[in-house]
Amino acid sequence: MKSSRNSLRGMVYASMFGALTAVGAYITIPLQPVPITLQTLFTNLAGALLGGYLGALSQLVYILLGVMGLPVFAGGKAGVGVLFGPTGGYLIGFVLGAYLMGKMIEMRQQAGFGWIVLALGVGHVVVYGLGIIQLSAVAHLSAAKALAVGVLPFLPGDILKILVAVFLTLKLRDYIKL
Amino acid sequence: MYNNLRQYLPGESPVHRRDPRVKIIAVVALSLITLHTNPVGLALVFVVVAGVILVAQIPPVSLLTTLKPVMPLFILLFLLHLFFTPGTPLPPFPIGLVSITYEGLYQGLFLVGKFLLLVVAASVLTLTTSPSELTMGMERLLRPLRFVGISSHDLAMMLSLALRFMPILLEESSNIKEAQLARGAVFNSGGPLKKARAISSLVIPLSTGIFRRCEELINAMEARGYQPGPRTYLKELTFDPGDYLVLAVVLLITVVAVLL
Repeated sequence: MKSSRNSLRGMVYASMFGALTAVGAYITIPLQPVPITLQTLFTNLAGALLGGYLGALSQLVYILLGVMGLPVFAGGKAGVGVLFGPTGGYLIGFVLGAYLMGKMIEMRQQAGFGWIVLALGVGHVVVYGLGIIQLSAVAHLSAAKALAVGVLPFLPGDILKILVAVFLTLKLRDYIKL
Repeated sequence: MYNNLRQYLPGESPVHRRDPRVKIIAVVALSLITLHTNPVGLALVFVVVAGVILVAQIPPVSLLTTLKPVMPLFILLFLLHLFFTPGTPLPPFPIGLVSITYEGLYQGLFLVGKFLLLVVAASVLTLTTSPSELTMGMERLLRPLRFVGISSHDLAMMLSLALRFMPILLEESSNIKEAQLARGAVFNSGGPLKKARAISSLVIPLSTGIFRRCEELINAMEARGYQPGPRTYLKELTFDPGDYLVLAVVLLITVVAVLL
């Protein structure tokens, strides 16, 4: 996968996954307590299928699409304000999280179910960590309140999405030629 | 849905004609000031943003549309501060265990005011700058990224690709969703396992279709001799005196806000 760095092939796939992550915000599946969007599913898949470098690049493309003013952030938000606002930490977390997921999966020749679950889980810890830090700092909430507002409602959906992402990674990774 | 993705309102005002780099820098600077300032600084930024909106002749309706999606979170944050800040109770409270304090009201209004200003400032940028100008401005501003091994030329190319493909992906995903519904897929009910299955039935065809498109695009680009790396532009960006003036004003506001 090293050769894909800076190649046309890698660029095209990373921009596709950036666009997919953006479009994912519009595909909603009802679930209790908070309906899930397919957005972070594509963040997971970008890291798992493209590897660390391209996965992170795809998420960077996604963030820049939002910064340019396309309503692609969760709930149809857009603009630099979102990046500096209460929920901006999650967006920065997507880049780092996708990088970590990809790097961990690249460490194994042919990563199995358990290893991919672990990699995606570690990535989510990073996303949540950065998200809560910015949420509590910007909105002046205590860590416990930030956890209650910023993590707990999304946990069931995210666990479901991790499991689906692992299943999809195992299915799709033979179709993608990087 | 496609209309959702376009916010730009073409115009000929001085705000529209500024260099996109200047506008991006101004919005980032004002956003940072907004987040770290006291009420006086916030009022200053508010006056500046309101002035820009007047000069650019942005209809209030388009601003309100951009504010709609962020309102639920902002209302939640306001209520959190309103009810859970200790301090002097506001009459007629406390009623039973419920109490609203002066401090809570002040903090809630101040914070939500900040966040609203952030969103409005960002929408002014995208309402007055075309996507291609923004991509160009972004490309020039992101050149320092080469120090971490990312070429801003490639990034700008990727942004245009993603922009071009987003409407297609939206259409394709809704087509696939309808096709799977016609085959008896259930998206709205059932347990987590059913949901997982429904999501897979959507994402697998979507992804394989996209991988095929990627291959076609790569072949087309290679056939036309596309090389990643530096390229030239039809229209090069240049600062005019007005742009330097705006930069100076932004610098002045920043200095004032830091001193406040």
